[in-house]
Amino acid sequence: MEMAVRAINLTKYYDELLAVDHVNFEVKTGEVFGFLGPNGAGKTTTVRMLTGISKPTEGTAEIMGYDIQKQSIQAKELMGIVPDISNVYTDLSAWNNLIFTGRLYDIPKAEREERAKELLELFGLYDRRDDMVDDFSKGMKRRVCIAMALMNKSSILFLDEPTTGLDVQSVLTIRDLIRKLNREDLTIFLTTHNMEEANQMCDRVAIINKGNLIAIDTPEMLKRTIKELQSVEVSFQNGKRDLTKDLAKFSDATHVVKHGDKYRIYTDAPSTILSVVWKYAETKGLKVITVNTLGPSLEDVFVKLTGVKPEAGSKKRKGKVRRRFGF
Amino acid sequence: MGARRLLREMRVAWAIGEKDMRVYYLKPPSLMFGILFPFSIFLSFVIGRNMPINRAIPVLIAQTLFFASSSIGPVTIPLERRIKTFDRFLSAPVSLMTVLLGKTIAGFIYGIGISVIPILLGVAFFQSSITDLAALTAGMILSASAFAAMGIMFASLPGQGPGQVLMPLNFVRIPLLFISGVFIPVKDLPAWGQVLSVFSPLTHTIELVRGGLGEENFFETPVSIAVLFVYLAIFLFAGMYFHKINQRRE
Repeated sequence: MEMAVRAINLTKYYDELLAVDHVNFEVKTGEVFGFLGPNGAGKTTTVRMLTGISKPTEGTAEIMGYDIQKQSIQAKELMGIVPDISNVYTDLSAWNNLIFTGRLYDIPKAEREERAKELLELFGLYDRRDDMVDDFSKGMKRRVCIAMALMNKSSILFLDEPTTGLDVQSVLTIRDLIRKLNREDLTIFLTTHNMEEANQMCDRVAIINKGNLIAIDTPEMLKRTIKELQSVEVSFQNGKRDLTKDLAKFSDATHVVKHGDKYRIYTDAPSTILSVVWKYAETKGLKVITVNTLGPSLEDVFVKLTGVKPEAGSKKRKGKVRRRFGF
Repeated sequence: MGARRLLREMRVAWAIGEKDMRVYYLKPPSLMFGILFPFSIFLSFVIGRNMPINRAIPVLIAQTLFFASSSIGPVTIPLERRIKTFDRFLSAPVSLMTVLLGKTIAGFIYGIGISVIPILLGVAFFQSSITDLAALTAGMILSASAFAAMGIMFASLPGQGPGQVLMPLNFVRIPLLFISGVFIPVKDLPAWGQVLSVFSPLTHTIELVRGGLGEENFFETPVSIAVLFVYLAIFLFAGMYFHKINQRRE
């Protein structure tokens, strides 16, 4: 399989500061690849090097087999870029922003006009095409920015924090669009610190911290690497008194945390704990209302590997429900 | 580079220039440093002096060419670098030289457009006459190109905003007025001043403009043309070099 992106020993120094440290990874064609990391981890610097905006101190990158340093024109023709801030021309209309982008890629006039119309319609901006982008909301500017990145019908789209700071409706629209583009064989390189977004959208993720790539795998495989964060969540109908101490005595429980009317029993053997819970409930005459087995979330993996809690905007959902039993 | 590739690069350069004209020509810093500034300096120079107005016209033409052409780059590039629209050029499939040429086109047309006004005024109302159209045209085209590239070179130095670029630029532009035969003709400068004036691109602008309008030249026309060509190349390549440094640093 042809690789859409290959980072080869990518390294970047800012004076004495090592921002990206000999990073190597590959992105397969057609996949949605998540690039995660806390602020200042080196995500944006890596993307800037991959896209030819910034020169690496050492190493290089290939886009669809073209070296971004030596064959930059060919490599850049194949990529679209949505940076972390919407770098649109606010003094131009939405239409002229797209047309100018088309001219930067030397797309013939008729084709660029057709493409601009198609994209503005897709993003629900065609009726506002002649308005100055300065008058647009943040979400609308973001949509213009993404539309600009799609003007050249690229093979790979780099999206740097595409949904940060947007309202829920815009976030959902953009995520739907990314999925749709990916279904149309566009490779997506998604930089985000939103774990839920990465979990929902990415085929594989890489985690970078302090300039070093510390993990790369599918979200589910990454979650399986930290078994100790598996848990069983149980609630009892008659459980008026605090049962934390009782539950913590289960031999396979590592610790127990009470969340409202629910107890979360952390274990690396959830199935054993399940049967113990049933026996305990029978013995104590308690009625089990719900039992859920929870796996670690991608956020748990991220915290475990980086030691950093993701920022606001990464809406956390504690644990993925593997199985749910309602009574 | 093949002919097809060259044509493509030229189309993209024009697109960049055209976009800059549309977006930046009417921005306050462009108007202030490109129009208000040269006209103010000119008025402070001529008012109260017994200089015939048709002799002052070449000075005004040279000053507007100098200031207007060199002001667009320092307005556009630092602003675009700050709001990251400059990244669009760096990630587009075009060479850095094409980007800088596009920026040069915007400065060039601004300079030509404004400096044509004193020519028309001079010819229409103050008995100026064009005696050497080739020298005048060459002087205007080469000067506007070289000064636009000079502005871009300064704008390519690491800086945060237009104000921070325009300050060092003015630090160079204003002293150049004194050694370029603008206020005092080159022939009246002391020997060391005459030597120094050879190295100022503005000297050769005013020389060509004066020659074009029938006044006496100190330097031969081909010398002035050659010097402006050399400066155009130096400014463009220096601008490119600074951008490459920026790409390594950023």
